[in-house]
Amino acid sequence: MSKLGAVVESVEKHEKFVLDQVKRARTDENFGREMTERWEKIKAGIPTSRAPTGLPLPRLALPEIDDAGEIARYLFGDGLPGEFPYLNGAYREMYLEPLEEIEIGSFAKDKSAPSANGHGKRNGAKPNGAKPKAQLQEEPTRLFSGLMLAEDTNKRFHFLSAHQRSKRLSTAFDGPTLYGIDSDADGVMGKIGEGGVAVDTVEDMVRLYDGFELGAPNFSASMTISGPAPIIMAMYIAAAKRRFGAKVVPNLRGTIQADIFKEVQAQNETIFPTEASLRFLCDMIEWTTENMPRWYPVSISGYHIGEAGSTPVQQAAYTLSNGFAYAEMLAARGVPVDQFAPRLSFFLDCGLDVEYIALSRVSRKIWAIGMRDVFGASPRGQMFKLHTQTSGRSLIAAEFKNNLTRTAAELMLAYMNGTNSCHSNSADEPFTTPSEEWIRLAAHGQAILLEESGIFKHTMNMLSGSPGMKAVERAVEKAILDEFREIESLGGVMGAVENRYQRSQIQNAAHRYEEQIYDGRRPIVGLTRYRDPNEKPPVIELARTPRKRQELQVNRLKKFKKANAGKAEKALSKLAAVVESGGNTFPALLEAAEVCSLGQISTRLQDLVGRFRPMV
Amino acid sequence: MASPVRILTAVPICDGHDSAINTINLEFIRHGIEVVYLGFHRYVGDIVRAAIQEDVAAIGISSYNGGHIDFFAEVVRQLRRAGAGDIAVFGGGGGTITFDDARLMKRQGVDQIFFAGTSLTQMADYVRKHYGKPRKKPATKKNRDLVLARELTAIEDARGKGRKSEGGSRKSAKARVIGFTGPGGAGKTTLIDELVLRFLQNEPTARIAILSHDPSVVGEGALLGDRATMINSQDDRVFMRSMATRGQAGGLSPATESCLAHLTKADFDYVIIETVGTGQEALPFRSKLIDQTVLVMNPDYGARLQLQKIVMLDVADIVVVNKTDLDRAKAALSEIEHRLTQNKRKQQMVATVAKRHRDHGVDELYEMISSKGEK
Repeated sequence: MSKLGAVVESVEKHEKFVLDQVKRARTDENFGREMTERWEKIKAGIPTSRAPTGLPLPRLALPEIDDAGEIARYLFGDGLPGEFPYLNGAYREMYLEPLEEIEIGSFAKDKSAPSANGHGKRNGAKPNGAKPKAQLQEEPTRLFSGLMLAEDTNKRFHFLSAHQRSKRLSTAFDGPTLYGIDSDADGVMGKIGEGGVAVDTVEDMVRLYDGFELGAPNFSASMTISGPAPIIMAMYIAAAKRRFGAKVVPNLRGTIQADIFKEVQAQNETIFPTEASLRFLCDMIEWTTENMPRWYPVSISGYHIGEAGSTPVQQAAYTLSNGFAYAEMLAARGVPVDQFAPRLSFFLDCGLDVEYIALSRVSRKIWAIGMRDVFGASPRGQMFKLHTQTSGRSLIAAEFKNNLTRTAAELMLAYMNGTNSCHSNSADEPFTTPSEEWIRLAAHGQAILLEESGIFKHTMNMLSGSPGMKAVERAVEKAILDEFREIESLGGVMGAVENRYQRSQIQNAAHRYEEQIYDGRRPIVGLTRYRDPNEKPPVIELARTPRKRQELQVNRLKKFKKANAGKAEKALSKLAAVVESGGNTFPALLEAAEVCSLGQISTRLQDLVGRFRPMV
Repeated sequence: MASPVRILTAVPICDGHDSAINTINLEFIRHGIEVVYLGFHRYVGDIVRAAIQEDVAAIGISSYNGGHIDFFAEVVRQLRRAGAGDIAVFGGGGGTITFDDARLMKRQGVDQIFFAGTSLTQMADYVRKHYGKPRKKPATKKNRDLVLARELTAIEDARGKGRKSEGGSRKSAKARVIGFTGPGGAGKTTLIDELVLRFLQNEPTARIAILSHDPSVVGEGALLGDRATMINSQDDRVFMRSMATRGQAGGLSPATESCLAHLTKADFDYVIIETVGTGQEALPFRSKLIDQTVLVMNPDYGARLQLQKIVMLDVADIVVVNKTDLDRAKAALSEIEHRLTQNKRKQQMVATVAKRHRDHGVDELYEMISSKGEK
């Protein structure tokens, strides 16, 4: 039995625990009183927000209940935002405007001072009397970007982050990089710099983030790559060292996707046999969690599972079970749970299906219970830290400007679910890597929702806990646990993967989805409903990498290889020795990344451990 | 009965977007089409070689990662260079292939591009209508694979019309014929591909032919997907043909025997046949052409009693117990060994983990099969 079976049991046990507490609060007078008193104290401690119109609102909205049993159900079953099991949010205040800033406003003359329980403070900002200066929270907006060569993407990074307080760069790589293939390999011309940035060497990595302070607290880099992730991670570290010296390493912040399971289940960008990939991944996680305490070395991703056509429940179930499988592997290697658990992060898709009303909320809860009760993680390791991206699959080429509305609705769902960060897709994505015009609209969609509108900035729980949302939560939780049981019966995540269980489930769901579009059960505006018969093909600004740019990349790489020829072979032999000996490969990768290209390293590793054998 | 329309589908190099093609493949099959699926992340050379060997009427390419203009053009160019310009190329890429792109691609020889919003049925209808006609011209004699592939098609077509073509008479002295069978999920395909890797590495001039079988869906087409898994077998020294069972039970196609006979006369060192996943009673290899039969099992056959029912255990020359990394392996190995001892024939048994790179069990199996030491 894998740990997944134990996770199912722990969630069931927790549900029973909640029911017991409800009953106890109603029958045990002392306990009932304790609940009621705690509830009153929480309510008394909630500060007041002011809408710009002057309307006073509580910063935390709670259900209007006074029965001790219902209070117990809420506190134990849902938890306050920032409290176990984190149904309402991983953190207490999420997207709220800093209190101090609001209190300075013209309406701040009443008694709504920050309370003793600390609800008024966030991000370390102290209300220190005379002229409190609010520390603005960082924006949760992340825009995924990558095109052509490193310097082209670098230019776009500067464009995107020009007006942001915090520089949070999210990097897309081109096809050859994702598959660990060098730009000078046979048969990839035409693919270089398409769909993402071409990175072959540490020199490209230096160019890619040029002008950004890699060790600064307000900078982080996210890299969306999994198959060759440990190699790319090593190149990033090598580039940071070249620019800022070795002392920068512990300060590096960011995320590398590195999720092998979802590649094998859905996205297909993996290059080594699964076991070998998992070994290299765990080597990297072990090294980074020890030496780069601010880095997230794996982003456990449902996004690509969703995009490959899974149902929302499948997406959440496979993502969570993959996460528990990683936790099990790392624990088995002897990495302490409080070293790795806080460094696991998650990435989910958000589409228009009704499940998305509560999918991430339920995921957060199941993760917290499993990590606490099965793996013994402390609170920081129980939190499901979530990045969300709106659904690319939901975007339609026909009458594509409707995609703005689709993305807006999805953004609303994502923030209702308390995502920690979010990427909003550009409307032109059915056609191309987004142009600056549409990417700007996508970014501004988030700012309008969070900054212009009052939906999320005054009150926590503004949209949490409606009867409908509760109904979705219940149904989704049950369905996720059923999926867990199915996976467990196949021998856990690894066994299910080898039986291609997740793949075939996803493929069936994708086929059903497509059928439903054309039999009318899934109406698509502009395509199967209200179609404009006179629609002309849209004029789209395409991001394509000119042949000359591709050739430049090839020439640079060739020069690099020539200059490092002797050193490269030495570093690769050293790496090979570590692979054969069974030791941690990451330190040897760090050395190799200084002098070898991505393709040189991945080819050598494939010679040693084999190539990935695709499953259809 | 007319032979089914036969096409090959694939996703280009550095592209893992297979959701669309998986859905489309399923739909094609429902419409009676035989689809050889090569998988994702495939080089132009692999696609063209496979299309020629499989003798398909058309290649469908699903591209979502950009670079489609270059990629499609290169497929057309290499087909023409190989004398197979009569294999049509079609494809799609959602919105990533624009109308302007499509116009340019058609000028470069691409037959058809489907745009976002095309229904599955429209696509299937197009394929059946345009790629179901017999070829006009015979193959150019210059391309050995192409000639052989079209001869095999003629044999399959003749069988479909109830005619018997050449029988299994003489074969060349050189070809060693090995038949692989076993239940579905035992790992036959992976095992064969790992053997091919060893043939290619250890015997620098050896040429290998593979006849791989997948079931036809009742009343429908077939998804022939072994090539996607057989990464080492996509090589110029390997001739692979995927055959659908076309209604025949027992794990082989009505044309297998004739195709096999034809292949043994061609210039191959090894001819490998893989059946579809078979049941306990199956005895697929009655042909005298087969030199060695290999039964591939995995340790999960159930209770010991089940072993007694597996007829192939009595006749296989080699029994491979694959997936011996599973918990039940030890018990399975001793049960099967016991059973083989009772048979009192010179049967060999070998334990493998075919998915493991450089597995020693597979090395051992290679030694049992290779003819290199005999000559």
